[in-house]
Amino acid sequence: MMKNALKKIYLTLIFILLYAPIATLIVLSFNSSKTRSKWGGFTTKWYTALLQNRDIMNALYTTLVIAFLSALIATLIGTAAAIGIQALNRRMRTIMMSITNIPMLNADIVTGISLMLLFIAFRFSLGFTTILLAHISFNIPYVILSVMPKLKQTDRQTYEAALDLGASPVYAFFKVVFPDILPGVFSGFLLAFTMSLDDFVITHFTKGPGVDTLSTKIYGEVRKGIKPEMYALSTILFLTVLILLLLINTAPDSSTNRTDRKHTLSRPRAISRFLFRKVVPSCMIVTIFLGGIFYGSRESNSSKNQVIVYNWGEYLDPEAIEMFEEETGIHVVYEEYETNEIMYPKVQSGAIAYDVVCPSDYMVQRMIENDLLAEINFDNMPNIKYIDDVYMERCRDFDPENRYCVPHLWGTVGILYNKTMVEEPVDSWGILWDEKYQDSILMQDSVRDAFGITLKYLGYSLNSTDLDELEAAKKLLIEQKPLVQAYVVDQVRDKMIGNEAALGVIYSGEAIYCQIENPDLEYVIPKEGSNFWMDSWVIPKNAKHKENAEAFINFLCKPEIAKMNFDYITYSIPNSAGQALIEEPEYRNSPIAFPDLNSLTNCETLQYIGEENDAVYNRLWREVKSK
Amino acid sequence: MPNKLIDIVNVSKSFDDNLVLDELNLYIRENEFLTLLGPSGCGKTTLLRILGGFETPDQGDIIFEGQNINALPPNKRQLNTVFQKYALFSHMSVAKNIAFGLKIKGKSQSYINDKIRYALKLVNLEGYEDRTPDSLSGGQQQRIAIARAIVNEPKVLLLDEPLGALDLKLRQDMQYELIRLKNELGITFVYVTHDQEEALTMSDTIVVMNQGYIQQIGTPEDIYNEPQNAFVADFIGESNIIRATMVEDKVVKMLGATWQCVDVGFGRNQPVDAVIRPEDIDLVKPEDGIIEGVVTHLIFKGVHYEMEVLANNYDLLVHSTDMFPVGTEVGIRVDPFDIQIMNKPESEDEEAVNVEE
Repeated sequence: MMKNALKKIYLTLIFILLYAPIATLIVLSFNSSKTRSKWGGFTTKWYTALLQNRDIMNALYTTLVIAFLSALIATLIGTAAAIGIQALNRRMRTIMMSITNIPMLNADIVTGISLMLLFIAFRFSLGFTTILLAHISFNIPYVILSVMPKLKQTDRQTYEAALDLGASPVYAFFKVVFPDILPGVFSGFLLAFTMSLDDFVITHFTKGPGVDTLSTKIYGEVRKGIKPEMYALSTILFLTVLILLLLINTAPDSSTNRTDRKHTLSRPRAISRFLFRKVVPSCMIVTIFLGGIFYGSRESNSSKNQVIVYNWGEYLDPEAIEMFEEETGIHVVYEEYETNEIMYPKVQSGAIAYDVVCPSDYMVQRMIENDLLAEINFDNMPNIKYIDDVYMERCRDFDPENRYCVPHLWGTVGILYNKTMVEEPVDSWGILWDEKYQDSILMQDSVRDAFGITLKYLGYSLNSTDLDELEAAKKLLIEQKPLVQAYVVDQVRDKMIGNEAALGVIYSGEAIYCQIENPDLEYVIPKEGSNFWMDSWVIPKNAKHKENAEAFINFLCKPEIAKMNFDYITYSIPNSAGQALIEEPEYRNSPIAFPDLNSLTNCETLQYIGEENDAVYNRLWREVKSK
Repeated sequence: MPNKLIDIVNVSKSFDDNLVLDELNLYIRENEFLTLLGPSGCGKTTLLRILGGFETPDQGDIIFEGQNINALPPNKRQLNTVFQKYALFSHMSVAKNIAFGLKIKGKSQSYINDKIRYALKLVNLEGYEDRTPDSLSGGQQQRIAIARAIVNEPKVLLLDEPLGALDLKLRQDMQYELIRLKNELGITFVYVTHDQEEALTMSDTIVVMNQGYIQQIGTPEDIYNEPQNAFVADFIGESNIIRATMVEDKVVKMLGATWQCVDVGFGRNQPVDAVIRPEDIDLVKPEDGIIEGVVTHLIFKGVHYEMEVLANNYDLLVHSTDMFPVGTEVGIRVDPFDIQIMNKPESEDEEAVNVEE
């Protein structure tokens, strides 16, 4: 008795471990409160919001189309391949099976990167087609794997018997062999469908701008902060995969048929057969068909006249894009990245010909140095006049002759502190080393930011490459470690709003948002100076729509658009005419958003320090983190 | 004598380096029940598959009614095969299985229905139209496989060990069924088996094969009574193969004595093999025998007793309805026409083997 109870408890524990995360997700998807920690009552509004989000619905449709098409094509190719392999002699068959098995065992990231390289090598432009091709190629082995055992079970004599009775080889195959292997073919199809639905890594590497599957879309959304719609979407995804798996496992199987002596099907099998033969295929066809109409109607207005924009996540008001499309008739294909370092190799590889990119200062410098940027024709950009000279001046730090970039947003790095927890005046980076604030300090989890403020505190340059200076900074950072509550990126915002920490290193734009949410917060640029950063629009050299790109940048320079974008993300705009349009005086005159530039004389722009120095920084940062 | 229907001329076939058939020549007459008999690996199934069109000979010709059909695919040949494992289409009903070939030929539905009824009646499975093959017993499945083949009215029916998977009683019943069928249909049967009893029971002609060579062709009586070499003698039924010397025509020396026989033409003082079937050895009183021996083993077999008798260092196998207890001294006699003289084997394939299948 005791033993049985223990067994049950153990089993329950395992199931809880396995399914608790998913259960949490499902529960949260019905939580009407936006925060994760509080239950605000049952709601389905996130599901409604999800269905109304065109981007996500598009991604869903793309996912389904790719899953369906890739599974279908892979099933055709894979089944044919399995038949071919089965006909080989034993030695060759073993070799072929090993060859087809390797891609399944291969790490997705290797498959993804190698496919991307292949596509680039053959001058495929990355997009829907490349995702589809990639999915077909990784799906084929799964189909072979599930068809093969059925083929082995199939008696060669039945095929010969059909030939003997006068059937042509093709007729014999479809009439006699195919029904026998059908369950294997079908489960191969479903397996491929599921694998395709599930894939992120390979899609990530082979996708082009403007095409997103659900997984890449979710990834894109998540890095901007998880919205509850995502819980709803993940729940739906989970349930879809669950249903598919159940279907695969209950697929009508001819081997059970063999032992079944009764003439009539038992009820559950009749139901599953009905599901298979009728419900599943018709659902799929309806989805694809309706989606096709929807997608087609959307695609039809995307002419060749387009501009491919690669921007930071949540860095541009979507309404501004719509306005641009309406005004110019140019279709905007919009894609987002998380860091400069993710963006750089994509542009460098040339896999996707982006027309407009928005790198940070030091990255602009690096791209200029590596000859990746096209000179901007300022004759096509009358609105450049709205960008204040002082910012163009600043740009010279990384674009010495003002030939390659147009400032988009800028800001500073400073300390955000909670007035209720910090009573003394904050004016120096030194407060981050004050033991009083042990466990309530939040540091940026980024090598250049962490070293930058430390170097500044020590009185050195933000871009120092002097080993002694860097070692000193490292020592200081290690000293600070016991005081730091966490090294984070986006969570500085959430934690500071939630009164979870007293002090945090933050970007000025984020600081404004935090102040709106929590008036107890104050932002300061320490007197030792800090990082003055600027993200600017550039046009890569391989851009295919350079004039559209210039029109796009020109449009964004309009004061009313710049103002709109400030309202959207509260990052500083280099556009005083735009600033003047901001309605609320507290923002228009905000010292955080628009500090007196003359007071920022000891602020520096990050510069590209070269690969070797980068490696030194990274090594020292690792030493800090691992201590 | 009916005409040659199929002529197999100089056919060779090898798989990888393994020679399965070596320059084989054979003809099959109309309405003949011809059995290819031999141990597994003797090439009989390969020969059948060549006839069916599932294998192509490496060299030689298959002539069917005067036409070379080497290159003709199976679906164009006027013969049908009954496979060892039945090879029924498991996802089709019995009726659909039987109708398969007729549908391909584009026969009308009423014709097909008539044929299904006729074929099921022929194999004694009336009313089984809507059953699935999986719901039938092995014997029933085999009969459906036969029905499926014969509705196409082939000139030749090829049967590849069709009774191999059935139990003894069923096998015996099916043997009679097959003979009856053959007589009713009046077509040629080419039957492959390793079971000599099956071959003896049903065949008009038996072709004994070993290692890709034909050892002997003849009626069941010929094969049984006058095996041409040790292999045939050993493979067909049980036999005593004894080293002997042909002294002169009709006189043979073996087991330390001189015997009368009926064979001639082996020359003088030639070493030969003598074959004596166990039931042809008469055990008599010691003083009445040509030689003497001692019974060393005794087994009751139902119809007869099986004994081993040690005589002049030979263990002779004897079948007799009279029982002699172990240790009994007996005399041994054999009638002259029960001694069959054969030349010594000239090659490996003609040697006697212990057949275990």
